[in-house]
Amino acid sequence: MDIGYNKRFLPEGKHLMMGNVAMSEGAIAAGLKFFGGYPITPSTEVIEHLAVRLPQIGGVCMQMEDELASINAVIGASLVGSKAMTATSGPGISLMTETISMAANLEVPFVFCDVQRNGPGTGFVTEPHHNDIGLMRFAGNGEFQVITLAPMSCQELYDLTITAFNFAETYRCPVFIMSDAYLGHLHEVVTLPSKEEVLKRVIDRELPDDYTKKFSYKDDSTGNYVIPKPPVMGTDYCPGMFLSQPHGSEGLPTPKPQVFTEMMIKKITSNIDKICLTDSYKLEDAELIIIAYGLPVRASYRAVDLARKEGIKVGIFRLITIWPFPDEKVKETVKDAKAVIVPELNYTGVIAEQVERVTNLSTPVIRIPNVCEIHHPHDILKVIKEVAK
Amino acid sequence: MSGIGPMYPNEKPENPYVLVSYAGHLLGNYSSRLCAGCGYGIIGHIFTRLFEDEKLDPKLYPLVLGIGCYSQMLLTVHYKTQKVLSLHGRAPALATGMKMANPQMKPIIFTGDGDCLGIGGNHFIHTCRRNLDCIILIFNNSIYAMTGGQGAPTTLYGANSTTTPYKMFENRSDGIKLALAAGATYVARTTVAHPRTFMKYFRKALKHKGTSVIELITPCVTYFGRKNLDNLGAEHLGLKGEKMDTAGKMIDWIKRNSVRVNQAKFMNEEELFNKYVIGEFRHAPDQPEYSEEYAKIQKIARGGR
Repeated sequence: MDIGYNKRFLPEGKHLMMGNVAMSEGAIAAGLKFFGGYPITPSTEVIEHLAVRLPQIGGVCMQMEDELASINAVIGASLVGSKAMTATSGPGISLMTETISMAANLEVPFVFCDVQRNGPGTGFVTEPHHNDIGLMRFAGNGEFQVITLAPMSCQELYDLTITAFNFAETYRCPVFIMSDAYLGHLHEVVTLPSKEEVLKRVIDRELPDDYTKKFSYKDDSTGNYVIPKPPVMGTDYCPGMFLSQPHGSEGLPTPKPQVFTEMMIKKITSNIDKICLTDSYKLEDAELIIIAYGLPVRASYRAVDLARKEGIKVGIFRLITIWPFPDEKVKETVKDAKAVIVPELNYTGVIAEQVERVTNLSTPVIRIPNVCEIHHPHDILKVIKEVAK
Repeated sequence: MSGIGPMYPNEKPENPYVLVSYAGHLLGNYSSRLCAGCGYGIIGHIFTRLFEDEKLDPKLYPLVLGIGCYSQMLLTVHYKTQKVLSLHGRAPALATGMKMANPQMKPIIFTGDGDCLGIGGNHFIHTCRRNLDCIILIFNNSIYAMTGGQGAPTTLYGANSTTTPYKMFENRSDGIKLALAAGATYVARTTVAHPRTFMKYFRKALKHKGTSVIELITPCVTYFGRKNLDNLGAEHLGLKGEKMDTAGKMIDWIKRNSVRVNQAKFMNEEELFNKYVIGEFRHAPDQPEYSEEYAKIQKIARGGR
């Protein structure tokens, strides 16, 4: 692609892009104005690409002194009304957890791309390993909900990054994009939509028309939770004080932390239908169901096609949003299934555990663990055949 | 808040600036959560006063506070200010993001000695290195006061604290030397016992383009004064000290223990041991400032247009 192109939107059409670059371009299309980062394999291409692209469109890309500073700078930029993001890997996210928790408390929107690598500790730095999934749900002290999206191709990295920014603006919570070392370094053709199409999808940071009704989280007429637009420092639409302390439905500090915690949880759980994106493949008559997310989905498509040729009724239920976990949808999907197969790029099976929780262990859940390696379709096919017997 | 309640009509506020302080604006009376003898009341008051007198635009001068006793100062500063309470030590990093996302802003950062020179030392160094246009006020009470008087990187040699119960034996960290080495372009140190000097320095920092670091020596009677003798910093005289258990004694000690920078030139190392050298150390207004330099980079990236 032409790196000297100094417009926010790249020309419509097909581009060959690396995953990390596609993610960066998606962020720019979504209106990214501030990127604070610290180089870490395998997410380095994000900061390298944005260091070229962001100044061209009047944005700022800063290489900070460490991960702690980069995430704090991102929060600062988001507080003054810029769309901001950071990208890092496992060790980086461990350092950033403190500020993720603070951002959740202040309800500052920001997007976080985690290009996962093997762990614990330093690990094999260039190998994919979906071992930060728990961290992407439980990062930081305190109780709060986050959103995590799991793309499986470069095209989806572009599209879901725009969605991630929209979620961040709407629900005012940290939004993670779950990438990994293979996906981040994968070169694929990405079909970019036209400028008008992207602009139609993007939710911009706008100030509300009426400042008087600011920061009310409760719609008095219906009793439902509403999420006000993010306040912007340096304008009149600002509470004057951002304390990372419990705040009530009026946005003011409350002596009742339970009210606040409930609000933090419910703002996500009450909108779970809009947040939880899922996809299905040949599920209509499926007796065996593969639940997958991220890269293993791609191998599963092939495995399902091969199994169908042999007459095994198997389908894929794909999770695009992995956190919050779509309990109801999964329950509904697997209720008549003979067994559920969960191919994951980790050993423990974090999502398999969630499926077990949702089904109350009534349906057998077969894990296909794999570490630092993409599943071969035949591995999945072998398991499908064994289970079908 | 103190729970003083509304002011009676025949009462007068202590000074005309009380009603523009945050708590004063809410309650109509002076209110603070700080201990007796604390220096943060003085700093908060001077800040409020300057904010009012200089007619600073609250939209352009956001306040970023770190974690420490001075976090409570958001009750005593001007009610119009827009404040963020950041994480412990991360205030300079947060302010960097704010400044870069909105280059018209000039963040004013309140940090303490433990906040800025301990946990957030790295962010402090790199903010100074970039010469980002902001004001960093370091409140040095040489103790971790909010958590109950633990030793800080700035605790004087031989002083008592709850984590150095026998005596402090580590070398102390000097915020001014650190700022000078890192490249801050306006560096000064003063004490709360010299409020007019502080006002002068603060006015100068507001007009300065670049990182301004002002370190303020402030008393903590509750956790530092009560546990330490006033012969700190005068060990070479061999005096038998007495406990600094009132605000007056501490202010006296601070005045005695601080040396003007031009005076310090003629003093030897032994005499300067445990002393605070006060004054202006650097004023370099023509150094390139980070956000302006970045604007030039943006211009280059656009093909020089």
